[in-house]
Amino acid sequence: MASIADTAAPRRFRIGQTDLIQKIAIATALILFACALFAPLIAPYDPLAQSLLSRLRPPMGFDRYASGHYTGTDELGRDVLSRALYGLRLTLTLAFAGAVIGLAIGGTLGLIAGLRRGWVEDTIMSLVDMQIAIPFTLVALLILSLFGSSLTVLVLVLGIAGWEQYARIVRAEVRKLGALPFIEAARAAGAGPVYTARHHVLPNIVSPLVVQFTLAVSNIVILESTLSFLGLGVQPPQPSLGSMVGLGRDYMPTAPWIVLTPAALIVALTFSVQILGDWLRDRADVRLRDR
Amino acid sequence: MFRLMLTTAIAALPYAASAQEITVGAANMAPYLDPGRDHSNVGSQFYYNSFDTLIDRDHTKLEPEWVPALATSWELIEPTVMELKLREGVKFHNGDDMTADDVIFSLNRMMQATFPPYVVRAKDRLGNFTHAEKIDDHTIRIHAEREEPLWETLISLQQVMIIPEAYTKALSGDPEVAEDSDYEAFALAPVGTGPYAIESFQPGEKLVWARFDDFWGDRAPLARVNVVQIAETASRVTALKTGEADIITNLAPDQLSLVDSDPNLKTEGSATALFHVMIMNQNHPKLQDPRIRKAMSLAIDRDALNEALWLGKAVVPSSHTMVEMGALHQPDLVTFEYDPERAKALLEEAGYDGFEITYDTAATYYTNGLLAAQAIMEMWAAVGINGKVQVRDKWSGNDPEMMARNWSNPMYFADPFGSFGVMWAPNGPSQSEGRFNTDADYAEKWERFRFSTDVAARKEAYREVMERVKDDPAVLPLYRPFESWGMKQSVNWAPMPGHIPYVLDFRAGSISLADS
Repeated sequence: MASIADTAAPRRFRIGQTDLIQKIAIATALILFACALFAPLIAPYDPLAQSLLSRLRPPMGFDRYASGHYTGTDELGRDVLSRALYGLRLTLTLAFAGAVIGLAIGGTLGLIAGLRRGWVEDTIMSLVDMQIAIPFTLVALLILSLFGSSLTVLVLVLGIAGWEQYARIVRAEVRKLGALPFIEAARAAGAGPVYTARHHVLPNIVSPLVVQFTLAVSNIVILESTLSFLGLGVQPPQPSLGSMVGLGRDYMPTAPWIVLTPAALIVALTFSVQILGDWLRDRADVRLRDR
Repeated sequence: MFRLMLTTAIAALPYAASAQEITVGAANMAPYLDPGRDHSNVGSQFYYNSFDTLIDRDHTKLEPEWVPALATSWELIEPTVMELKLREGVKFHNGDDMTADDVIFSLNRMMQATFPPYVVRAKDRLGNFTHAEKIDDHTIRIHAEREEPLWETLISLQQVMIIPEAYTKALSGDPEVAEDSDYEAFALAPVGTGPYAIESFQPGEKLVWARFDDFWGDRAPLARVNVVQIAETASRVTALKTGEADIITNLAPDQLSLVDSDPNLKTEGSATALFHVMIMNQNHPKLQDPRIRKAMSLAIDRDALNEALWLGKAVVPSSHTMVEMGALHQPDLVTFEYDPERAKALLEEAGYDGFEITYDTAATYYTNGLLAAQAIMEMWAAVGINGKVQVRDKWSGNDPEMMARNWSNPMYFADPFGSFGVMWAPNGPSQSEGRFNTDADYAEKWERFRFSTDVAARKEAYREVMERVKDDPAVLPLYRPFESWGMKQSVNWAPMPGHIPYVLDFRAGSISLADS
């Protein structure tokens, strides 16, 4: 049988490493957010401006480098770095908008399920189970095929991508809180369900929701990139990280920089946001924080 | 380990190409195979290997030189009647002998069409033919309504390739009657008389040709050909490099160096007999003023598109004309130009207020289609047009909301009628879809162009038609794309100048393998 000391030692080792990774990830996330926010100021070129006679020029340091296009030009002679910065901006905007919609839908339904119980809870949780059971990428492809891939439709699709996670978390937290004395006291004092939810339940489930929100942003970045890669997301000429990878894939053997720059940003973004989510969870969870 | 290796080797056996077997990685595979109803760029790749026409042409030559095929001789016995002697001893792939009845059935299914897809094809190119009749077991006659200047040209079309009557009628329902369901079934299990039988066909995925030993002509050089759809360009190139494919289709110019730099591979290509075009909806409420459409056309620098996207290998036409049209080729006509200053002036005259003009394109169907669309938006912006690309894989040419989009206008046969004419005839496909208008004056010019038996008169009438197009444009030919095929060094194959676009001709004399 393993002793407590046996299990504690690797834990300390892991934490020691993770702290450094977390710092790097948080710094990366902050830099990426800043780049997205200030893209119009730091992008060297208009992301849509073409220069047909400077197509497919490689990054700085290679033969045929076109001066000023540090990470090269794409198939229409557009500056890859500028497009990647604007693509990052759009991808992050979509991810946050999608995460907010998911939070609103999932949080509300989870709250209702947790407070009302009975058939309402059963119905909502059945919907949650259905959403979990069906691969959402297929659902998203179907919706975008039927209703077109305008930004509005895309945001809505990204929004409903992860609502069930919020619903499950909120329902579980509400049920847990419902049994606690201060909620019972509020009810005994005559507080209605809406008042109870607003003043006593919501403030106590903010932490897990923030963590879930962060993780959802990362997942939505991947989903948006997937849809755009398949041509059903952001439409040309507007760049998103996924659409840049998707449209550039035919040039991977001959002009890999078109794909590498946005692909590296997708990896950096999802990795750093994921680690950021873990960090927030660790801080929010008393049991983990004390270890 | 030995067992694993043995199992792997045995599993790989069916895919290992023998000396007379090749695999083609095609960008697209047809959803059905019926030469009568089809005129797509995808389908036209496949028919020539499996089907024959009555009259063929020497495809090694640009100028038409008619040669016997299923008919051994032909003559006009009246200005509107052609009599043809049929070849004896011809067999279909299912073992049936080809008879005069099969020929009459094949021709009349188009000339007296009732199956809607045949009706469409018959109307846009075979409308002058009334019927075919059997004279005896080896003689038939084809009747035209009016004197026909293009007899051999039209009798050698893919749409009048010969199919077996009894086999087709027996595919569904009453075996004595040709029903629509028979034609639908035929398109999934096609049978012809060509040098390669279609051994298997999975729509949209795969086609397998096997040499037909009873073919009436020269023996097919290949025992077997597998055509597999590989939609992604990068995947096709990889398939060629790894040896999974021996030939790949639709290589964009940007990819040529990738193949040519490999000592085991090479490319073949040509400016194919087809225009990538921009079409404009004359009836869209915001585009009814022809000055707006003229500006849309004048703003596009097609030479710049050619230099940038096709490395200068495409051909930019000054009018809707091609060298394959022989005596009817009119390179001196100037119907389409690049003049951004004139475009700006026309927009101002027309009171263009900056409304958005959408340009539809499929994502991948046309080589460089999406790139050209985006470049055109930049050119429009330079003259003040507020353009927007809409990626729509569904055809929008029949959508009243469509403002402009890309399309291709192939040369279905070597005549202006076979290129511009098929698409832009009075009551033709473009007018039927509601985006192109004609009037009595246009129809009169069209009639002279279509039916004059004097070449000079046809040229003059076509010039007048082009003037109408210039004044009220609904189409702009962008360029003849330079289409390329990649292949192993051991494969001796190249597109032939006498074919319609994209034909994969693997008949005797058209392909050989170095190690065979």
